[in-house]
Amino acid sequence: MSSGAAHAVLAAASTAHTAAAPVHVSGLGFVTPLGRSIEAFDDALFAGRSAVRAQTLEIPGMDPMAIAAATCHFDASGVRSASRLPLDRGTAMALAAAQDAAADAGLDLDTIDRDRLGIFWGSGLAGASTFDATTRALYGAQRRMRPTTVLTVMPNAAVAELALHFGARGAALAYACACASSAVAIGEAMRAIRGGWIDIAIVGGHDAMLTPGVMASWHAMRVMAPPPADAPASACRPFSADRAGFAIGEGAAALVLESEAHAHARGAGAQPFVLSGYASNCDGTHITNPDPAGQVRAMRAALRDAGLTPSDIGHINAHGTATTAGDAAEAASIGELFGDAAPVSATKAIHGHVLGGGGAIELVAALRALARETLPPIAHLQTPDAAFGNVDFVRGAAREARGLRHVLSNSFAFGGTNAVIVASRR
Amino acid sequence: MSSSPTFNSIAALLETDFRVARAEISPATALSDLGLDSLALMEFVFAVEDAFHLRIPEDRLDPREAGITLQRLCEVIDAEGEAAAARSEPMAATA
Repeated sequence: MSSGAAHAVLAAASTAHTAAAPVHVSGLGFVTPLGRSIEAFDDALFAGRSAVRAQTLEIPGMDPMAIAAATCHFDASGVRSASRLPLDRGTAMALAAAQDAAADAGLDLDTIDRDRLGIFWGSGLAGASTFDATTRALYGAQRRMRPTTVLTVMPNAAVAELALHFGARGAALAYACACASSAVAIGEAMRAIRGGWIDIAIVGGHDAMLTPGVMASWHAMRVMAPPPADAPASACRPFSADRAGFAIGEGAAALVLESEAHAHARGAGAQPFVLSGYASNCDGTHITNPDPAGQVRAMRAALRDAGLTPSDIGHINAHGTATTAGDAAEAASIGELFGDAAPVSATKAIHGHVLGGGGAIELVAALRALARETLPPIAHLQTPDAAFGNVDFVRGAAREARGLRHVLSNSFAFGGTNAVIVASRR
Repeated sequence: MSSSPTFNSIAALLETDFRVARAEISPATALSDLGLDSLALMEFVFAVEDAFHLRIPEDRLDPREAGITLQRLCEVIDAEGEAAAARSEPMAATA
C-alpha cells in the first residue's frame, strides 16, 4: 500500500463513528472561590458575580496590591491527613472536595470493592504553597527544610492522600498537563471505567498557588490582568475587545464516576447527567501559543466519542483565559466547528484561573448549566472582540436553555495539550 | 509537669496537628508510643521547635530513640529556652 493510500485508510478509520459508553456521575464536591456548596456556586455562577479581588501578597519588587486573584475562604487547618503528616494547602482542598463528592455520591467504603476503586487527579503546580514557604525558610532565618517537604510537594501528593483516605487499591494516577490536568484526569478515568479496569473512580483536580513566588512567576509571563484601579473584580474579561489576561484562582473540584452497571447495582444516582465524550490531543506546535487546528481536532474527537455532532451541543464552557492569543485561537476553533450554533460561556472571569484544577471546576459549571437548563453569562463582557464575529457569547445575564441535553467543556494547556469533555443529560 | 505551660503546649500540638488522642498524652508517654511513624515524629519535633522558637540540638533529642518521654522533651525545651535567653539571642541567630 502506498503511503498516500495508507494515510487515507487511517484517516477513514479515525473518523469512524465510535460512540463509547457514558459514564455515571454520582457525586460532586468542590472548594472554589465561588463557594463550597452547590447553592453558593450556582448563585455566583448564574449571576456572573466575580470572586476576583485585589490581593495583599507581599511580593518582592511588586506593589502588594497590584495583583487581582480569586480568593477562597477555606480553612485548611480543619483538614487532616490520613498519615498525620502536614498537607499542602492545595492537597487539603483536594481532600475536602473529594470527601464532599464521596458524601454526595453516598459512597460506602465498606461495601465497595476497593481493588476496583481508582483515583485520577490533576494539578499544575502541586505543592506550590508548601514549596514556596519552605524554600523561603531555607533561604531565610530558619535555614532548613521540613523533613516531609518532598512528600508534600510531589505531583502525586494529593493522589496519595486521597488513596490513603479512601483505601483505594485500584489505579492512583496523577496527571500533570498544566491547565488541562484535571480534565485529562477525568477523561482518563472515563476510559479506565469504560475499559473495565475499574468500576468507580474519584476524580478531579486542584491548584493553590496564591504564594509570592508563584504569583511573581505568573506575573513575569505577562499573562495576568492588571486590576482596574476601581474594579479589580472585573480584571478578567474573556473574549472582550479589551481583555488583558487572567486572574489566578485557587480551589479544587471532585467527581465520583462509575460505570452505569456499578451505579445501578449500588443504587447510586444523585446527579442527573453522565459524561458522554472525552478526547485529548496535543498541538505539537508551540509551548504557549495554542493552535486552533489542534483544538478543532480535540473537540471533533470528543464529539465522536460521545456519538454526537456539533449541532447536538447546546452549550460550551470555553477555556477562555482572556489572553490575547488564547481567546483568539479558541474563538477561531469554536467558530469553525460550531459557528454561532452553540452558546459560549467562560467562567474564569468569576472564579479565576485555577490552572490544574480549572478543568474540573469548569466541567462542574457546565454540569450545573445542564442541571439548571440555564447558561451562565460571561461576566464583564460588554463588547466582544470584533474578530470573533460569529461566535454566540452569553453576555449580560444568564440565558434560559430549556431542553438542554449536551454540553462541552474545553481545557487547553501550556505544552499544547487539549482536553475536551462532553456531558449529557441522563 | 502535667500542668506546665510547656507540657500543655506540646499536648495541644499533638492533639490538634497530629491527631493524637488526649488520653494518650501524659508526661510519661514515650515519643515512640504516640502512634506516629518516624517521619511524623520528625515533623512533630520541627513543629515544637517552631512553636517555642528554638532549635533542639540533635545530640539532646533523637525522637527515634526508644524511651524518650514527653517529660524529657519538656525538660530539653525548657533548658534550650533558658540557654537562648541567657545568650540573649533571638531564635533566628540560633538557627
